Amino acid sequence: MHFLKILQNEHIKIYKKTGTWIIIGILVTLLLGFAMLQKYVLDNGDQSNWRNQAEARIAQMEEGMERGPDIEAGREAMGKEIAIQQYRLDNDLPPVAADSLWGFMIDATNFTAIATLFTIVIAAGIVASEFSTGTIKLLLIRPVRRGKILLAKFITTMMFALFMLILLFGFSYIIGLAFFGSTGSQLPYLTYTGGEVVEKHMAGHIISLIGFRSIEIIMMATVAFMISTIFRSSSLAIGFSIFLMFTGPQIVQLLSQYDWVKFVLFANTNLMQYVDGTPVVEGMTMSFSIVVLLIYFFVFLVSSWVIFKQRDVAV
Amino acid sequence: MTQPIAQIINVKKSIGNTPIIHGITLDIYPGEVFGFLGPNGAGKTTMIRMLVGLMKMSEGEIYIQGHHIQRDFEKAIAHVGGIIENPEMYSYLTGLENLKHYARLTPKDIPKKRLEEIIKLVGLEKRIHEKVKGYSLGMRQRLGIAQALLHSPSLLILDEPTNGLDPAGIREIRQYIRRIAHEENLAVFVSSHLLSEMQLMCDRIGIIQHGRLIRVEKIQDLVSKDIDLTVELKASPIEKAFQLLNDRSWHPKKKGSWIELTVSEEEKIPELAELLISNQVKLYQIYSNVQTLEDTFLELTREES
Ligand SMILES: Nc1ncnc2c1ncn2[C@@H]1O[C@H](COP(=O)(O)OP(=O)(O)OP(=O)(O)O)[C@@H](O)[C@H]1O
Ligand SMILES: [Mg+2]
Repeated sequence: MHFLKILQNEHIKIYKKTGTWIIIGILVTLLLGFAMLQKYVLDNGDQSNWRNQAEARIAQMEEGMERGPDIEAGREAMGKEIAIQQYRLDNDLPPVAADSLWGFMIDATNFTAIATLFTIVIAAGIVASEFSTGTIKLLLIRPVRRGKILLAKFITTMMFALFMLILLFGFSYIIGLAFFGSTGSQLPYLTYTGGEVVEKHMAGHIISLIGFRSIEIIMMATVAFMISTIFRSSSLAIGFSIFLMFTGPQIVQLLSQYDWVKFVLFANTNLMQYVDGTPVVEGMTMSFSIVVLLIYFFVFLVSSWVIFKQRDVAV
Repeated sequence: MTQPIAQIINVKKSIGNTPIIHGITLDIYPGEVFGFLGPNGAGKTTMIRMLVGLMKMSEGEIYIQGHHIQRDFEKAIAHVGGIIENPEMYSYLTGLENLKHYARLTPKDIPKKRLEEIIKLVGLEKRIHEKVKGYSLGMRQRLGIAQALLHSPSLLILDEPTNGLDPAGIREIRQYIRRIAHEENLAVFVSSHLLSEMQLMCDRIGIIQHGRLIRVEKIQDLVSKDIDLTVELKASPIEKAFQLLNDRSWHPKKKGSWIELTVSEEEKIPELAELLISNQVKLYQIYSNVQTLEDTFLELTREES
């Protein structure tokens, strides 16, 4: 199929650039650095007395329950916590240590922020660089509609995001294993659903953590892609997207007393808020956020497409 | 009557509120090299951008092989290969990788043989595996021509293809433009402000100024119309030759060992040779210098402004 060849072209153009491999190198280096820090520098405390800690935690929660938390959600969270800690004691399941394979991998999911940053850089360049180097002219005088070229570029950006996440997961596993060995890797992830504690595989939990964070990658990459397409400037797209990425969630928090804030993109990017936390604005639900995200996603894409299709190319 | 490959019908273009192209109508036929001649800022590149669908016309229509360039873009552009201004390529890819990149953008498969053939045609065999970063301007131009020819278009559009080339490079490009036009029955639309070059390369020339096509003519017509030919000849004995010519009112002038004179048309040249030879003058060399198009061009554009 011809579209696959167009996709292949876009992939070649990304992966033949030295910059892309520098980005990948940086991600791996940061993971390595973090593993060394965790292993040789940070003091992770003594894990042997985890029972005492669990008991203390239960006592603390029970006391809190008696005093009566202000909101229903808080009461629920405490109940869950007690159930899980109790389950640990009953089944002799210590929590994962920070300096173990799973502990390292869970912490490494925070590196999705860096993966987002790098994906923004790629998304910002994929259209704008064709304009800045002038290659757009020879690209657009082919028997391929502009929409197809743009779609291939967008899919390539998304594939890059996926590639970054797979790299993150893969390398955090390899590095985690190399630095911390496999002790404790049989430990399950405990979650409280349907009134009881359930054991789940830890790898699945880590993937779901990354999965939730990937919403942010997709949305930020789409923002960068749109700005890059509309303004044909990769530096503007990078600057603006990174600025939004860092300030957006905070501004949303600041303004959370207003009801309309729930329609702001950044009030919805973190779906984890519905799993273990409280929504930014009361009354928001996971499905509401998914709908809002989808609307933003399509608006961004359609505006990129309309502009790209209409544009007079005069570079 | 052959069908035109490209039809440009009353095309106008304004950017913002500034009109840049004021209604150009033009047909381009297979096998011809059409020169699009105009001073800087005349609107050549703008017209070419519309011709390849990079810009939309404000008014008017463009058809390539009968397909509208905007409404039927894919079909129309499939017949076109081109370079617009500089042939910018992906500098971090090799020449071959660049060509393969463009080959993938054509729905029909381009066989490896065709690639090799084109690379050979533009003389890049030795350097094709090097990154374009290291190419000289001339090599980039050749690679540009290669990507334009890859899919065997029927209309080749070249915006100042000799820009930045050395005389040898210019001559080479000129030669293969002529060759491919006539061998492959391809129409070539080539823009330039270098007149001397157009004269040697084109069959027909359109002169554009301030966004208007002020004249379209066959090159012979444009060149020879009301224009004297300067003839230089070397003959022996020179005195005798001079005397003969002078007696018959050819108004010869002596220039060292050469005789120079002007004639009103080409037909006079064999007549002149005949005269000398039949009078036992040895004729060694004879040259005729057409008045350059440059003079004609300057004249035309001056009239208009
Ligand atoms: N994107 C644009 N915005 C505004 N004006 C433009 C734009 N592109 C071209 N022009 C104007 O249109 C006119 C024609 O420009 P064009 O590049 O087509 O000329 P040209 O004949 O190719 O010149 P040259 O021989 O220098 O390449 C110029 O006056 C130029 O300033
Ligand atoms: Mg130009």
